[in-house]
Amino acid sequence: MTDPVFILLYIFIFPGFFFLISYGLFLAYLDRKIAARMQQRVGPPICQPLADLIKMLGKEVINPNGVDWRVFDAIPLIALAAVMTAFLYVPVLGYSPLAFQGDLVVVLYLMALPTIALFVLGWLSRNIFSAIGGIRAVTQLFIYEVPFFLALLTPAIMAGSWSISEIVVWQQHNLWIIFFQPIGFIVALIGLQAKLERTPFDIPEAETEIVAGPWTELTGRRLALMDLATDVSLVVGSALIAALFLGGPMLPWVLAPFWLNSIAGFALFLVKTLAVLLILSSIKVATGRIRIDQLNDIGWKYIASAAVVQVGIVLVINYLWVVP
Amino acid sequence: MPEVVVSIGPQHPALKEPVNFKVIADGEKIVRLELDLSYNHRGIEKAAEQRNFIRVLPLLERVCGICSHSHATVFSKGIEEIMGLSIPPRAQYIRTIIAELERMHSHLLWLGVAAHVIGFNTLFMWTWRDREAVQDTLEEMSGNRVHYGMNEIGGVRRDLTPAQVEAALARLPVLEERIKKYVEMVNSEETMLIRFRDVGKMSREEALKYGAVGPTARASGVDYDVRRDDPYLAYAEVPWNVITDTHGDVYGRTRVRVGELWESTQIVRYCLENLPAGPIRVDAPKTAPKGEILSRYEAPRGELAHFIRTNGTDKVERVDIRTPTLANWTSVAVCLVNQNIADIPVIVAAIDPCLSCTSRLTVVNRVDKVGR
Amino acid sequence: MSVLREMLENFLSRPITILYPKEKIPIPDAFRGRVAITDDKCIGCSKCSLVCPAQVITMIDGPREVEFKGKTLARKKRPQVKLYKCIRCALCERHCPTGAIYLKNELSSSGTDGEVVIT
Repeated sequence: MTDPVFILLYIFIFPGFFFLISYGLFLAYLDRKIAARMQQRVGPPICQPLADLIKMLGKEVINPNGVDWRVFDAIPLIALAAVMTAFLYVPVLGYSPLAFQGDLVVVLYLMALPTIALFVLGWLSRNIFSAIGGIRAVTQLFIYEVPFFLALLTPAIMAGSWSISEIVVWQQHNLWIIFFQPIGFIVALIGLQAKLERTPFDIPEAETEIVAGPWTELTGRRLALMDLATDVSLVVGSALIAALFLGGPMLPWVLAPFWLNSIAGFALFLVKTLAVLLILSSIKVATGRIRIDQLNDIGWKYIASAAVVQVGIVLVINYLWVVP
Repeated sequence: MPEVVVSIGPQHPALKEPVNFKVIADGEKIVRLELDLSYNHRGIEKAAEQRNFIRVLPLLERVCGICSHSHATVFSKGIEEIMGLSIPPRAQYIRTIIAELERMHSHLLWLGVAAHVIGFNTLFMWTWRDREAVQDTLEEMSGNRVHYGMNEIGGVRRDLTPAQVEAALARLPVLEERIKKYVEMVNSEETMLIRFRDVGKMSREEALKYGAVGPTARASGVDYDVRRDDPYLAYAEVPWNVITDTHGDVYGRTRVRVGELWESTQIVRYCLENLPAGPIRVDAPKTAPKGEILSRYEAPRGELAHFIRTNGTDKVERVDIRTPTLANWTSVAVCLVNQNIADIPVIVAAIDPCLSCTSRLTVVNRVDKVGR
Repeated sequence: MSVLREMLENFLSRPITILYPKEKIPIPDAFRGRVAITDDKCIGCSKCSLVCPAQVITMIDGPREVEFKGKTLARKKRPQVKLYKCIRCALCERHCPTGAIYLKNELSSSGTDGEVVIT
């Protein structure tokens, strides 16, 4: 497992960056296609996200007057790097070779970075729409992040480990965590939807209100990378939820050859992330955007309390049923 | 947070047409609004003075893309009144059918736009999909999807064949079913209620004071509809109801519009089923006697008025177009105060603004050489 | 909830979009499309050119003998339509005494080519 060539392959080719980017683009396609079919449209062809990416990479980069272009160049890269790093700790084939105690917290932290990057971007853009969008992004972050963290940490409390891979192993021996924590699962889905800034939580980039929010001044490769970061976050987010609540890429029993086990795990990973994506897309299609003050109300009143209740339930379960 | 000026428009994704708002906001709350209209002055009124009554109608249809029939009808109605012509009943009914189909497609379009501004793109896609049925009917009847060209002074240009009536009647049940669904959705869908309720509230007094017209006024409880209060075309003979609402907010305006959608289907159904036989036009004289008239019409967006002055020639001496959007702008400026920045597009869209039609006035400041 | 039900129905049914160049919907008979002129019927009365709101019909020389109401007329002019400015209002069709100029139910884009004329 500690073979450096294996680690390099894991990071760069599969299931690391190369697979991650292709899968991110595929999920972006699938998301659009599902939404389109639910609205009885045809939807984009399969290569559309890739074509968009390549086109955007080739476009001219425009520097707004008086903006520090170095920071502008750096921010999309930081966002993309953060979410791509986060993916390395999420189990895809089985136990992640890079896993360590506490990688769940690292993943959550890295996934919060793109939002911070968006806020900085909006603040730096010297554009009223971007500034409003940036403020909204960070306001929203404070609202959804607490319930999201609580919802994702409850599996850790239940499994008694702060490593995603170990939580998956725990689920292999026991039941999927979704059966113990249905509320937490729903809260996590809502949080993920908000984190990815998809309807009904696309408040920071509300097209009809503030143009594109922090994205307004992004052009060319910056826009391409930021888009890619969002697509990758979608993969990381759905993989994380699949791992924490749906048992991740592991079968409840061990198949004979190692490679067969890996393939089965990978297939499970695909099925589960696609299932999560289907739910996320349905939420996107079925709702309209809410206002930031309404999100504040709903977020703190209902979503946060639901997450706290979930933590309480888990503590009670842990107290009554001593986990082996 | 200090007051910031958010300049919205003339180019902005929420606005399909050029207008400029300077929104003075305190954080997310709107303190004041400055409006700048007339980016799109097209000189249609002046152009209309140079064309005879035959050639002016296609021009007036192009005042607005959505209510094209309204402008042509209100103008021919006025000229016919000056000429003292009475239009055969079949022509009246055909005009009514087209007018109500136009109202349906306008309201369906509006419902989609309103859903789009709150980010509810699914309803946007669905309403525009169902709008196709209306458009197809219009295309079958008149030969075009936008500019129907059905009117001429003295009647209508095309007759409805029995096959066209059959086809239209066959489409209606599907539309009725869809509209029933929209009525249900508007009243029950949480994602719309949360954004539409208590947004842009306007009391009955304010609506009267600021001269709101059409669905905007009717949503505030002003029981006024030109179709009933000053009947024209076949509206006096057709059974239908004026839809009013007491909410006074965007939710109320949505309810009024979906209610009117339903009424429109019933009017179209009645007119198609009771289409009187007879000629579709009378021969109109080439010239109109000297006269002045204010011709009124209930366009989908509200009361549309054409002031027409003739001078005995085959051209109008003056035609002044007051579009419903112009009447509703002041109410928007009032509604927006103390609302959320996020609600600007919702409130603006709620009056169904049609800005290019509104741009009637150009003030040229000769000293500074700037046009406004 | 009606939204969710309809979403599912749509998801399971085919998209309603018509993929235009591959699929076509029939154009209704009443459709106002490209202008066409039957030269045999034209008596050269210039009515079409007078009523045309876009003023795209000009009368050009076209001397010819035509039958009209049992009589034989010697016409001097015939209409020529600049298609790119035509707004397809069908006023020419409405006012033509013989039905010589009419709009076919055939799609045609307005185009930008000033040279496209119909005679």
